[in-house]
Amino acid sequence: MLEIRELDAGYSDLQALWGVSLQVQEGELVALVGPNGAGKTTTLRVISGLLKATSGSVRFQGCDLGREPPHRIVELGISQVLEGGRVFTGMSVHENLELGAFPAKARRVRAQSLKWVYEMFPRLEERKHQRAGTLSGGERQMLAIGRALMARPMLLMLDEPSFGLAPLMVQQILDMIVEINRQGVTILLVEQNVRAALELARRGYVIENGRTAGEGTCDNLMDFECVRSAYLG
Amino acid sequence: MLLAFLALLPVVLKNDSIINLAILVLLYVMLSSSWNILGGYTGQTNLGHAAFFGLGSLATRLLWISGWPLALSLLAGGFVAVVLALLIGFPAFRLRGVYFAIGTLALGQILFVTVGNVLPQISALPAKYLASYELLPRYYLFLGLAVLIVGVASVLVHSRLGLGMMAVREEEDAAESLGISALRHKLLALCASAFLAGLTGGAFAFYHVGYYPQFPFAPVWTFDAMMMAYIGGTGTIEGPIIGALFYVVVKELLALKLVEFHLIIFGILFILVVLFLPGGFVEAWKRVRKALARQLKSFQSRPSP
Amino acid sequence: MLGPIAQNLVFGILVGALYGLAAVGLSMVFGVTKFLNVAHGELLMLGGYASFWAFTLLGVDPFLSFPSTILFLVIIGVVLYKVLFSRMVKLPEELKIRNTLLIGFGLSLILQNLALRLWTADDRGVTTAYSGWAITLLGVRLPIVRLASLGIALVCLLALHLFLRRTYTGKAIRATVQDWEAAAVMGIDIHKVYLLSFVLGVALAGIAGTLVSVGYSIEPSMGLHWTLKALIVMVLGGLGSIMGTFVGGIVLGVTESAASYLIPGGGTYREVVGLVLFVLVLILRPQGLFGAKER
Repeated sequence: MLEIRELDAGYSDLQALWGVSLQVQEGELVALVGPNGAGKTTTLRVISGLLKATSGSVRFQGCDLGREPPHRIVELGISQVLEGGRVFTGMSVHENLELGAFPAKARRVRAQSLKWVYEMFPRLEERKHQRAGTLSGGERQMLAIGRALMARPMLLMLDEPSFGLAPLMVQQILDMIVEINRQGVTILLVEQNVRAALELARRGYVIENGRTAGEGTCDNLMDFECVRSAYLG
Repeated sequence: MLLAFLALLPVVLKNDSIINLAILVLLYVMLSSSWNILGGYTGQTNLGHAAFFGLGSLATRLLWISGWPLALSLLAGGFVAVVLALLIGFPAFRLRGVYFAIGTLALGQILFVTVGNVLPQISALPAKYLASYELLPRYYLFLGLAVLIVGVASVLVHSRLGLGMMAVREEEDAAESLGISALRHKLLALCASAFLAGLTGGAFAFYHVGYYPQFPFAPVWTFDAMMMAYIGGTGTIEGPIIGALFYVVVKELLALKLVEFHLIIFGILFILVVLFLPGGFVEAWKRVRKALARQLKSFQSRPSP
Repeated sequence: MLGPIAQNLVFGILVGALYGLAAVGLSMVFGVTKFLNVAHGELLMLGGYASFWAFTLLGVDPFLSFPSTILFLVIIGVVLYKVLFSRMVKLPEELKIRNTLLIGFGLSLILQNLALRLWTADDRGVTTAYSGWAITLLGVRLPIVRLASLGIALVCLLALHLFLRRTYTGKAIRATVQDWEAAAVMGIDIHKVYLLSFVLGVALAGIAGTLVSVGYSIEPSMGLHWTLKALIVMVLGGLGSIMGTFVGGIVLGVTESAASYLIPGGGTYREVVGLVLFVLVLILRPQGLFGAKER
């Protein structure tokens, strides 16, 4: 479904990615792990169109995403939950979710999508008219995920959804992610919390210093130093 | 060599209107170069530059007319401008980037309006000065001051101070971390800019027979100086000179046919420079030379037939 | 009988409403796109001249020629955006603000001199049959035209407020202001949002200009004057609140009036009051102003 080949990308004069490659098949839950600053977020930003790659290709269902602006990429079926959630604090939960269905296709089924999201996150329905700025960290993350789902993505990318959350909340969020995957949304999960990521995903990639250091299933990822130390440390 | 040409110009061409034109060019060279010290080299866009020009002209005019020797009056003009610079510098530099620009714009306007209110009457030359008015010494004053200002700018730029100023322009925070006091450099640049603009104002006061004291405070002087610097190339010594020359030439060429049209052209050119050629004509020239050099090289390296 | 003080106050409010409207227009542009278009005053002037022409050439009442004036300015806004300002979208914020400031200057020069050529330097105004009418309430004279201007300004304000708060597109604009990346990855076309905001701002300037041409007068060099007013009020009122900005306009208008009344010979210092206030606020209270959201 998603195929990235030899991706080079960077910010102004600093190159951040060198020949990153990865693949996500339809229906999978794939993890992208690696140390802080390794380039995981950068990779997601390139896929979403927030950052232009200097070389390499990103193909989604056969289409080259290279030149597309971010909103087109959402229309094509990729949504991202940015690092930190980033909800619109000045608007209510309900307004945030409604805005999530901005692409025309999603707007048509907005009412059903809302129902779906509220079913999945009853907490959000309770706080429907509350201003997003007053939500707790975990609730904001839920809102961010729910909002991304409103666009009815085929591929949902999450950047560190567990960051800064209490362990109980983390578990809840991760369970939700599994459920979303079960309901048919392909997931690319970036997580620094390696343990959690590998519990969920069957397959993962390790990114270190802007390069794909390796891929594999749960077991052979243990061969990687950073993965191991995360487990031990 | 150019200097010799300029120095001999009025002797060769005893044409008053050409000399006046040359004075105008020199005036703009001075105004633009002085602006460039803070605006081009230190990267702080001062939109109230006219305040220094106006203040210098005010001080010089008042002193000179009341009998002071010209040289002292000019220096006083520059000095007063520096005082203003120090007064507004400290609070103004608490503003970064564009906020400094609009802050100085407002400050310039305040002075412009205030002077217009306090001194609304035209400043006319008393009879004895009028009788002894000669154009030539004024031309040489402008020439001398222009050379001085360009010289000062040049020396400043090549000094350690200049290096510090450019560091502040490029990356203020990085410069600070290297021990370069941004505030000190900005203030010094501002004072230099002010002093030189004050001198320019003094020359202006000496040159004009009658004018409204408010006039040199008008924002149009700042904008013109700034645009000339940009079109010629900010952050270079030649830039303001080229810009000033270009402006006056275009104005003269078009003045006959379409009044004010030169300003429209100037505005368009300015926008084009901002959009596509941030280094102005100087940069354009460098690029052309590079392209030519490359062409020449590729001709030379071709195997002979 | 409240006498001259009340009269003064009322005039301050009436002109302040126009300051507010001009500022709201600038705020729409700067708040969303971070373009500091200092030719805003010249665009306001164009609105004034448009209604002037509609009146003197076609005999259309200025309050009726609003639609054509707005259309005229919308077209200009779209052209300016596509040709000039859209190139600045990708730049980092500081560079974006500075470059658009410079472009604005060039633009103001061009527009100012175009106006000079087309309409000469004479003061122009629209004087209709009812221009001199006024109602007197509690000893205070209220010119009909300026009252109507206040009304129109309030209507525009309300319309804009409702647009931003209640409509989908309006919310998309607010979302973009708050977090453009989050908005982008939700499918919001940032370019369209920028264009819309820019054009809205320009249209508001045009409306304000029309009101200035009926209630006061217009001439080619008025641009800087109004740009400064808009800037001052935008800074006073603070970004992020349309209502707040408008109130800031009223505050400026009243302050100027009060100053000109209280300071002996103060009529001529009207201008200065606003500018001094501006500089003080810029330096002493930067929070709640331009960078408030990010800090």
